Amino acid sequence: MTLLDWGVLVASLVGIVLYGLWRGRENRDLGGYLLADRTMRWPTIALSIMATQASAITFLSTPGQGFADGMRFVQFYFGLPIAMIVLAATAVPIYHRLKVFTAYEYLEKRFDVKTRTLAATLFLVQRGLAAGLTIYAPSLILSVLLGWNLAVTNLVTGALVIVYTASGGSKAVNHTQFLQMMIIFLGFGVALVYILGSLPGGISLGDAIVVAGKMGKLNAVDYSFDLRNRYNFWSGLIGGFFVALSYFGTDQSQVGRYLTGRSIAESRTGLLANGIVKIPMQFAILFLGAMVFVFYLFSAPPVFFNPVEVERVRAGSHGAEFRGIEERYAAASEARRTRAVAFVEARRAGDPAAAAAAEEALREADAGAGAARREAIEVIEKSDPAAQTSDTNYVFLSFVLRHLPAGIVGLVLAAIFAASMSSTSAELNSLSSTTSVDFYKRFVERTPDDADRATARRDVLVSKGATVVWGAFAIAFAEYASRLGSLIEAVNILGSLVYGTILGIFVVGFYLKRVGGTAVFAAAIVSEAAVIACFLFTDISFLWYNVVGCLGVILLASLLAAGGLGAKKPAPATA
Amino acid sequence: MTGEKPPFGGSWPRLYALVLLNLAALIALFTWFTKTFE
Repeated sequence: MTLLDWGVLVASLVGIVLYGLWRGRENRDLGGYLLADRTMRWPTIALSIMATQASAITFLSTPGQGFADGMRFVQFYFGLPIAMIVLAATAVPIYHRLKVFTAYEYLEKRFDVKTRTLAATLFLVQRGLAAGLTIYAPSLILSVLLGWNLAVTNLVTGALVIVYTASGGSKAVNHTQFLQMMIIFLGFGVALVYILGSLPGGISLGDAIVVAGKMGKLNAVDYSFDLRNRYNFWSGLIGGFFVALSYFGTDQSQVGRYLTGRSIAESRTGLLANGIVKIPMQFAILFLGAMVFVFYLFSAPPVFFNPVEVERVRAGSHGAEFRGIEERYAAASEARRTRAVAFVEARRAGDPAAAAAAEEALREADAGAGAARREAIEVIEKSDPAAQTSDTNYVFLSFVLRHLPAGIVGLVLAAIFAASMSSTSAELNSLSSTTSVDFYKRFVERTPDDADRATARRDVLVSKGATVVWGAFAIAFAEYASRLGSLIEAVNILGSLVYGTILGIFVVGFYLKRVGGTAVFAAAIVSEAAVIACFLFTDISFLWYNVVGCLGVILLASLLAAGGLGAKKPAPATA
Repeated sequence: MTGEKPPFGGSWPRLYALVLLNLAALIALFTWFTKTFE
């Protein structure tokens, strides 16, 4: 990194923190601290929602997915716009009319305290651990590629977020997220334009798209139905719908964003704008990855993008074998480059037969390079069975550091930090909301509203304290995460294990007025067990867990209520 | 449905239709993109 890169990075981070401190400087009560006095307009809400969902790992991992697996991940978001409409039409008016601080408050008004506490507890466990990973995952990648100390990177990222989130609450979070999204759009927009403008060998954008398509990287839609296939049209539309409904409708990190709207219309429009913009944004990030793939067709790529693992295997007992594979991979990549150039020239010459032959030759060469790369990964694993054998998350940043000019590198790094900070700040803010409203005020203070100035000040102080404590927990978990090994995947999947069940509870609350608290509570326990059984004993893709959990709660609760279990309590508001 | 009008689009049903149309157009575009360049 050059001095210019450091300058851009430090100026961006300091600017974000100062802006957050300034925008969140006045908070007299919980309404100000947790809901920004309900003053936000829809553009800020929309960007805040997007910034909360898109963590740094989204921006690091998604181009890597485009590079390795093509565009099919975009299908994951097909159900999102429909979920935005459902939530805008039903959940937003209910939350606004009840003037709740958290989504879980609604559950006590509709059912009972045990249902509220169950949902709030599931949220705290899942989101508390996720906040640690939101800090850890990008820090790990940055430390590997830039040689930074992992513990210090975790600490700096977490501490910067705690400073403005604890100080300014939701006002600071929402306004900094707006600024952070601007930095992210700028960083990735500049990177995309630069990549397209610097494709080697005079390759035009049109050539690049054709080549990427022929190499299977532009597979945006797959209509085949397969429960084990993680990303196809049906899993994206149906499973993605349930994921989005649950995440945006019941996860306080998102609900807290649109509860800050100055009216129902502002909150609704923020959600709907997200439904319009999200898919094109993901498409652009995946496309960036596909273009990085094309870039490396015409210039020599590393055999493996994680330099720490490469150095480790080179220095180990399999070093000679690995170096031999590296040489074969370099030769295979050169052969592939030659054939890629031949394919582009055949196309330009307008000779379909020659283009078809060149395309076939290019596929063969790519298969050869792919075989050498797989051998290299096998040797890495043989050398160290605990080694990270997926380098998807390292592809994009590795490319940025090798090929982008000074200044733009700093801008992309600033965008990655901005993404990490934006998600973490929303997570800490929501953890603080749930801790202070659903536990402290409900079970300790027991006052429904800010009774007087002293109570209001104490509530804000408790919420600030909760933000700091959850921030410290997230940093501590991030420091510990490197020792968890494969448990990391389990923590990552935790959201999918609980989202469906929580969604089912809310759907019953919103739409099945005859079902009472005991019925939905029992149904939630049984459905959660069914989801865990799916995770442990089947190979069903995780997107479908949300469907199983949600439908399980709805059906079981309906049956139990029909059988007379659970006293009916009238709903406080209707959709 | 609340009495408040959306900031753009005229009415909520129109705005919801706009979001759905946008989704349908994107899926159609991606399908064309996949078929054309595969």
